[in-house]
Amino acid sequence: MNPPLTAEIREKIRRLVGEENVLAGDVDRFVYSYDASFMPLLPAHKPDLVVRPRTVEEVAALMAIAYEYAIPVTPRGAASGRTGGSVPLQGGISLALDGMTRILELDERNMTVTAEAGVRTFDLYNHCASRGLFYPPDPASWKFSTIGGNVAENAGGMRAVKYGVTTDYVMGLEVVLADGTVLQTGGKAVKNVTGYDLKSLFTGSEGTLGVITKALLKLLPMPKRRNTIQIMFRSLDEGCTTIHRMLQAGLVPAAAEIMDDVCLKAVARHCQVDLVPASEACIIIEIDGESDAALDTQARGIEAVAKECGALEFRLASSPQEADALWALRRGLSSAVAALAPNRLGEDISVPRDAFPEVVRRIRSISEKFQLPIAVYGHAGDGNLHPSVLCDLSNPEEAKRVHQAVDEIFAAALAVGGTLSGEHGIGITKQPYLSQALGAAGVKTLQAIKQALDPKGILNPGKIW
Amino acid sequence: MKKTGEEILLQEAREKVSQCDRCGACLPVCPLFGVREVEAASARGKNALVRALTDGGLEPTADLLARVDFCLLCRACVETCPNKVGTDAAMIDVRQYLRDRMGCWSAKEAALAGLLKSRGLVKLTAAMLSLLRRFGLNDLLPRGLVPDEQTREHFLTAFAGPAALGQRVPSSAMATVAATARVAYFKGCGMRMLFPAASAETFRILQAATPVLRKDNPCCGLPHLAHGRRSAFLALARQNIALYENADVVVSDCASCSGTLKHISSYFAGDPLWQERAAAFSRKVLDLTEYLVNIGYRPRRQVDAPVTYHDPCHLARGQGITQPPRDLLEATGRFIEMKDAATCCGGAGAFHLEYPVISSRILEKKRANIERTGAAVVVTACPGCLIQLVKAAQASGGKFRAMHISQII
Repeated sequence: MNPPLTAEIREKIRRLVGEENVLAGDVDRFVYSYDASFMPLLPAHKPDLVVRPRTVEEVAALMAIAYEYAIPVTPRGAASGRTGGSVPLQGGISLALDGMTRILELDERNMTVTAEAGVRTFDLYNHCASRGLFYPPDPASWKFSTIGGNVAENAGGMRAVKYGVTTDYVMGLEVVLADGTVLQTGGKAVKNVTGYDLKSLFTGSEGTLGVITKALLKLLPMPKRRNTIQIMFRSLDEGCTTIHRMLQAGLVPAAAEIMDDVCLKAVARHCQVDLVPASEACIIIEIDGESDAALDTQARGIEAVAKECGALEFRLASSPQEADALWALRRGLSSAVAALAPNRLGEDISVPRDAFPEVVRRIRSISEKFQLPIAVYGHAGDGNLHPSVLCDLSNPEEAKRVHQAVDEIFAAALAVGGTLSGEHGIGITKQPYLSQALGAAGVKTLQAIKQALDPKGILNPGKIW
Repeated sequence: MKKTGEEILLQEAREKVSQCDRCGACLPVCPLFGVREVEAASARGKNALVRALTDGGLEPTADLLARVDFCLLCRACVETCPNKVGTDAAMIDVRQYLRDRMGCWSAKEAALAGLLKSRGLVKLTAAMLSLLRRFGLNDLLPRGLVPDEQTREHFLTAFAGPAALGQRVPSSAMATVAATARVAYFKGCGMRMLFPAASAETFRILQAATPVLRKDNPCCGLPHLAHGRRSAFLALARQNIALYENADVVVSDCASCSGTLKHISSYFAGDPLWQERAAAFSRKVLDLTEYLVNIGYRPRRQVDAPVTYHDPCHLARGQGITQPPRDLLEATGRFIEMKDAATCCGGAGAFHLEYPVISSRILEKKRANIERTGAAVVVTACPGCLIQLVKAAQASGGKFRAMHISQII
């Protein structure tokens, strides 16, 4: 049981951040109780208080108060996470960092950018792009998710196949620790082995080890040319094979996304999509490079591989608008699939690249075995896929089947050498499978780190395990 | 057990938000969230409130009503949503539900709704406002209640170009209005009371093409529908349906009116007496710019002024009309596109009166975007927006003026 947030503590917090940045009414507490995961909205895990600090000093002072009184604190960006990471499971304070929106520095010579936690990833991308620099990580939520949230969850994205994920770009962090101490870790030096690699420890720590308030991120030169290709196939297998052969042939796309027939139908409900009859799978590929000629060579190479693998149709976007439309379709896919059924359990398994077709086959047989539609889409280029079980959990018999199916999906991922989560994190929704994935020693090590950094257990309690 | 009307409304709202996946795509596009960054201001927050209200997580309270009232109904969220969740329509349902349930209307709302329900009162007000304006007394009233009105004469004095006719506007793909069609004008309350000079221009433009049926129409009912007075809305809708039965085309120069009238049929679905008549009526309604492009209208003269355009929510997202007004303006003068032209101006019916501070912060962004174009005139096609844009023009210190599209073309 948490100690109550007394009137005195509330008053201290109000004085700290200002009356307008503290929300305590029932309606406000309710709307800070959820994220974009499939956790049911009700019963709501309402925070006792929502606090919206503007500076690291405020965050530090707030953490000092929380530490003194042992009040749970759950950091939150845009609450667009898929695993319950920002849900204040044990009440206390919802620490909304979306008001910290300054981009502090764009260092063109060192090719780095420094931004506060609440900057939207898309805004950061555009800010850098306006100076010819490129911040590659692009989770599907990048238009609305925050950089702090992206770092805390170590978000991936479509471009991971060529450019890696968030952690590959984190060079330094400012983190407020459980007791309010402000830690600066990492820096602009490219090589840095002075002590433990703390920036990587906090990246993906899901708000359980500290509150990330600032990030120093690595940038690349912006590729000069980009284009998008859509290829339709008779089967998911053919799509997977195409992507494999491409990569083996040295044709590395900036993104390679795959979706099955269930996804195509979901998308067709709200968008105008021309579907070639008999197409059961679609891949969308982004290519980039230095010149039109380089792009053309890649496109022709990919076309040849796709045709060999039995592609039904190959289409190169003829305008930036067409390319944008194709990506908008992919980015909206998760929500479109979710709308197909009363409930959707979306998973985020990640497997070695060559095991992608095998795990997809296993998911297909799980779908048949439990008589449940499972939409499959994901980042085929990097082995991260999102099987989505479409179901109605209000039917107890079906709910039982769903949970068995999800268990088997995780088992399938682990069996082929993969893991539970590629880019969404563990949060609440994947907790039951953690020890299976990490082993006893793995879990014990995580817990030792947690104990050392958060002895009172106030930082995002109830998450990961 | 038979469900009460209230319960049905709530179920309808619940159905509308049921496909919200809480992803957050709506957060950056909501103009209200842009100036008041708390979750309850966003569409995602509002969708969650509807669910909690229906599923037993929240009680109907005055605070909850305030939250559902705090929406511009601008549909920016709907357009961005991967599942096209109709948050605006759900808000209208829940406003009705909560008011039916709790019986609370603010004095301002009640006064406005009462005024707009009566044709006589609307006319009387229009006459009074025109007197106030004539004697320069409109500044005595709260800002925006009686905006200054620019006239076409003011405009021509400043910007008249060569007297040659403007270019012919390319006609759109929509079915051509027959030359023999009986065309009627729908004169909205906003145009009648606040912008009579613009309304007169509209009538002149229409009359030049074909003899126009002049109707003494009541309000379109949107203010009532949006604020929990559905029965008043339906009564007004029936009056309008009957009134325009001898017309083939009903043209309105108010985006909110034309948007509402086009959607009237959906409120009579399943009503054996009115369903057919309502559907026939809605099919006849055209926005002014849509109509003019359709008949191949030529602007009366070209003007030598840089002009920019603000898309009314009820025209751009409510009716999908963005090109016809631009075509008309391009045929008239030097048209310059502004950034975020289709973002709500913060007017939103009576919203700017209920939440003046928030509304003016939204308008500030609009003003900055207008100024950045260097345009001498910002044009729009809705009196609700025009009230806001007139305020923006005043705030700009004379950098630009605000006018209705009828006064330019």
